[in-house]
This record gives sequence, C-alpha cells and structure tokens, in this order.
Amino acid sequence: MIITETSANGIVIVALEGNLDALSAPKLRGSPPVADPKTTVVLDLEKVGFMDSSGLGAIVGAAREKSDPACGIVLSCMNDKVRRTFETTNAQRLFHIFDDTAAAVDFAATRQIART
Amino acid sequence: MKTILAFREEEFAWSHEVFSCVHPLLLPLCNKPFIEFLIDFAILVGSTAVRILCDGGINPIERYCEDGSRWGIALSYGSLHGDDTAETLLGKNRKFCGEERIMIVSGFSFIRYDKRLNYKSLAGSLPEGEWAACPGGSITLSGAPEKPPADGAATPLSLMPLDGMASYYRASMEALETGADRYVLPGYGGEPGCAIGRNVVISKSAQIRKPVSIGNNVQLLGDTIIGPSAIIGSNVIIDRESSVESSIVLDNTYIGEQLEVIGRIASGNRLNDPRSGASISMEDPHLLGSIKKSQTLSALPRKVAHALAALVMISVLAVPFLFLWPLLKLGGRWRSAQIDCHSENPGETISLGKVELDATNALGATASTLSLDRYFRLFRVLTAELALIGSTPLPAEEPHPNAPANALAYRPGVFSYAEAEQWPATGGDAAIVERYHLVHSGPISDIGLVVKAFVNRPHEKSSA
Amino acid sequence: MSSIITLTLPGDPLFTEVARQTTTSVASLLTGENHSASDETQFVHDFELAVSEAFTNSVKYAGEHDTPPTVTLTFELEKQRLTVSLLDANSPFSIDTPAPDIESYPENGYGLWIIRRVMDSVTYRREGNSNIISMSKTL
Repeated sequence: MIITETSANGIVIVALEGNLDALSAPKLRGSPPVADPKTTVVLDLEKVGFMDSSGLGAIVGAAREKSDPACGIVLSCMNDKVRRTFETTNAQRLFHIFDDTAAAVDFAATRQIART
Repeated sequence: MKTILAFREEEFAWSHEVFSCVHPLLLPLCNKPFIEFLIDFAILVGSTAVRILCDGGINPIERYCEDGSRWGIALSYGSLHGDDTAETLLGKNRKFCGEERIMIVSGFSFIRYDKRLNYKSLAGSLPEGEWAACPGGSITLSGAPEKPPADGAATPLSLMPLDGMASYYRASMEALETGADRYVLPGYGGEPGCAIGRNVVISKSAQIRKPVSIGNNVQLLGDTIIGPSAIIGSNVIIDRESSVESSIVLDNTYIGEQLEVIGRIASGNRLNDPRSGASISMEDPHLLGSIKKSQTLSALPRKVAHALAALVMISVLAVPFLFLWPLLKLGGRWRSAQIDCHSENPGETISLGKVELDATNALGATASTLSLDRYFRLFRVLTAELALIGSTPLPAEEPHPNAPANALAYRPGVFSYAEAEQWPATGGDAAIVERYHLVHSGPISDIGLVVKAFVNRPHEKSSA
Repeated sequence: MSSIITLTLPGDPLFTEVARQTTTSVASLLTGENHSASDETQFVHDFELAVSEAFTNSVKYAGEHDTPPTVTLTFELEKQRLTVSLLDANSPFSIDTPAPDIESYPENGYGLWIIRRVMDSVTYRREGNSNIISMSKTL
C-alpha cells in the first residue's frame, strides 16, 4: 500500500492507495501524522481497493489516540466497497465522512480553529 | 436539481419492533415501499440524482434500489451523524451537490403530494430554506433559486410524521383512498380504486369492495370479502369465509377461515390494532385462525393411503430404478449423503439419505425425470416415518416448526406440497403453501398432488 | 454437481491478497444468470471480506510450529452456492465469540463476527490437529 502525505490549510492529508489489511495496517498506524496525537489528519480513501477489519482497526485505533477523538481523523472519498465494510461493523458512526477531500479539509480546519 | 434523503435510525426504531421482517425504509404503504414514494417525489421535483444517507446500516435499501436506473436517476448512498445539520450534510456531500439546487428531505415522514401538479417549477423558484416541516421531518431547499418566484396558488405539500403504527395506518389508508390519482401505485386495475398484482387467484364467490390494493401471488378463497379499504400484500392467502375490512395484511401472511379482520394490521403471526397500539402474537408463525387438531383417527386413513400409493410407486419404478441405479452409481453420477432431519414429532429426528443426481447425460436425465433420487425415501413411507407428500424435510439444525400449541405445521414427506404447486419453492412461499395443504388436503387429494409433484419436478429443474 | 478447488498457501500476511483474489475469481463464476448486478457484487465482496478475515486469523494465531505454517483453502462450487473452507494447524478455537461491543469499538476481535454477519452459514470442526472453518452463501 502506498501512503502519500500532503497538506492544505494547516491540515495533513494522508492519501492511501492499495489494500488496507493486516499486512499494510501497521504501516498506516506508524506513519508520523497518523501516530501523532496532536495532528488532525484527513484520510483520503479514494484509491483503497479493499479494507478488512485489520485496516478498520488501524483507523479506529489511531483516531482514539488523537487528542480530539471525534475529529482527529476525518475520512474522505470512501468508495462503495469500503463503505459497506464500515457499515457491517457500524463504524461509520465514529467518523465524519466526506465525499470530497477539500470539504473534509475545510471541516477539519474549522474544528481546529475552534479548539485553539 | 438533486435530492438528499437523510434518515436517523432513532426515527424509525419503532418500526423494527412492530414490523420486524422488513427494513423500515422499505415498509410498504399501499404495497409500495416507503422509500419509493420519496424517490417518486424527488423525480417529480426534477432531480437527476438522489443520495440516501443514514446513520445506520442501509444494506437492504441498497439491494432493493440498486443504482436507481430503474427510475432513470443516479442513486448513491452514504452515512451521516445524528447531530449533522443540513449545512453539514451539504458539506459532507459537496462533490455530489456540485453547483446545483439541492432538496434535503429529512426524517421518517410521509410526503403528501399530488403527482399531477407541477412541483418542478415551484422547487426551482422558491427561496432557500424550509419548504415544509412536521415534527421530526422537513424538506429544505438550498442553493440559489433558478427562476423568479412564480405567482399563483400555492401547490399543496405537507409532511406527516410516521412515528408509530397509527400514523403508518393512516398514511397507508390515505394512499389507498386517494388512489392512483395522487401517487404512482403498483398493481393493475381496470377501474380506479382497485389495484391487483400478478398471479392473483380470486375464487368465484369472493367479493371485492373498493377501494382495494392487492399484491402478487395472492389467493382469495371462497366466500371471502375483501374491502372496503383493504390493503393485501404479496404471498398472502385469505382462507374461506373470512373478511378483511379497513385493514392492512402485510406480505407472507395467512389469514385462516371464518375470521373477521376489521381495522387491523396483520403481519405474519402478529395482529396489531393501530389505534391502541396493542399487538397479539400468535405462536404459530403463519396461521391466523383456528385449526382443528389432526386427530389420530383421521391420521390413520391418510397413512394407509400414503403407504398404498408408495407401494404402487415402488413397484412401478422398480424396473427403471434397478436398471439405472447401478449404472449411475458406477459412473459416479449418483452421490448420496445422510442428513438428520426433523420428524413429525418434536424432539425426534430421522436420518434421511440425500441424493444428488447428475442429470447431464441421458441416463441421469431419465432418472431425474422419474424422481429416482427419492426412491429410497419411498420405503420410509411404508414404515410411516415419512408421509408420501407433505412439507419439505427440515435439517435438524433448524428449529422445529411444530410449536407446542399447534401440531400441524410440519409433516415431512418424500415430495413436498410446494413442489406440486407451480409457485417457486422459496422459503416464505413454500411454507405458506405447505401449511395450507397440510390443513386442507385429505388422502385422496394427496394422491392427486403427488402426481402433480412428480410431473412438476422435472419442469422445475429445467427452469431453475 | 459441485466442483472443488483447493489451494494451499504459506501462512504469511503477504499471501492474504492471493487468497482474496482467488476467492473473488471463484465467486465470480457463480454470477451471471438472473441476478441483479448489485446482488452479485455484494456476493463476491462478502466472500472477499470473509476469506480475508479468516486467513488473517489463521496467520495471526499460528503460534509455534516446527514447519512453516500453511493455510489450505477449499472452494466448493454448486449451482447457486459457494462454500469456502480454511484449514490450518493451529490450536482449536470457537466460532461462537460474542459480538464485540460496538460502542467501545475495540481495535481487534472482529474477524469471526464479520464472517458470521456476511455469510449465510459458518461451521467449525476439528479434525486431528487441524481446524476447519467453513463458510457458505447462496446467491
């Protein structure tokens, strides 16, 4: 799985490409912006071909360690397959999910300003 | 113009309790699933795309509606948080919304509209903001109006919250009574006020009083009175001399003989009173009616008749069987396994051989047409372990259908009543047909049904 | 008549993708007649997810072995029904795990629950020193 980091408006955008499973989950979990509790991350899932509970666990685990668990990780561009995996475990309740990365960045930026 | 339909699970939680078999968003109102009414309205308003959002699982909706091509629109799905405002929803679906005017329909509410009126231009010209509202529901427009405000009479539009059985009942009856004038309703009808689905068998002595809506695969037996104001779903049997008035009978329900269903909602084994909210649950999953228990007296002639008929079948089929069986077995086209199935008495199981026949070559096809895969089971009829025709044998892992209060739900047979009928033998359909025949069929008609099943089986296989 | 396909893979996370791709190819063989497109994609996807979970579990709980662990997948195709079985040499386990508490949202422990949710039936048996978990779904 390929992880690409960019940033906009002071928010880090982590884009994933490939499969998010037991093999690649540790890589996501260990990537610095994801692991840092103080950084708000927008996770762009547009190019995720497959995700199972290991991948989901990594995202949930990382979100929980953020200083703002509800908005520490914001998700964007979820495709149907990944969305259904989220819904099987009801995980969609835990995240704010956007269909457009720019909108997710705006949201995260607004929440960050409100906090500081 | 695009539409967002937003629902929160807590709004329709009540429906899960009362109507547990169907997802609340697919709850039928006058035989049309709830979500379709909303999609119809979205199209009426001029939407090219609709997105359905919910904070819970909507898999059943996705499977039913698919990509929306059935209605000529682009349908997509997403999720929302319980505390999302209209503005947040627009943000979360920014790519979907684009630059277009968006109508957000929120809440589990019935939209009262009239399909003959022009909502399209109205929606294009109203200012941003709330269009209609009710407790727990609203229709909001966002984005700049496309045209200047139109003069003329206000086009009626209102919302009715679906917050319980009573409002569900009222909404269904409203849809039925205003009929196909205001909404697009399913069913064929020569005259207004009477919509009937496919494969509906109406006995000569049955009476239908308008307005009535009937679904698919319905049997109305002799001397039944349906209506006025009756909504009958699909896969329903209304047995002799019963009447259904001002009531809703939901899918997969069997109404027994000589019953009066007035002002009720009948669903599977539950009878509900919409006004008081009272609900009675029958132990038997299908029957709504009294059934005289099968006395051992009437069981004996049946067993004898079945055994004699089985003996006849064994002798007639002996020659082809003895010829084909060794050939098929050697050729590897005859595979058998033992499975434990429930017997007629709860708590007992019998071990049945399950045979898989490869019907691709001529020998196998002949064996299959003569139902030789059931040959060994015929012998069990002689020992009265199986009936010649009855219910499909159920594997022992599943719960026994013969609940203590009713002994007539299950009698395993070599052939099943479902195979004798032309209906596809899927779960709910088969169970209703089998149940009906268990009650009504005598030894003589059983023999007739065996012949029908024997003839039908090869047909079913070739069309399956 | 049913067809049987068997595949033995090394018990390493690297091969989960191979297990998944084989599963989607096999599951796709059943589609194509009288079913809606969304039912079919759902069918294939459900198997992909279930097999990924089961294979990951086999790899995860392999423990100590003298020889490198392997996982054997068996696909049994019938006309409308696919049954996938996974065999491994790990210690016994139970498929009756309670549903994880969604509210507290644990990071792990979802595998078996997801498999039971997306599949029509899931069975487990122990033969000799091997676990066999079978899952099947009808289209």
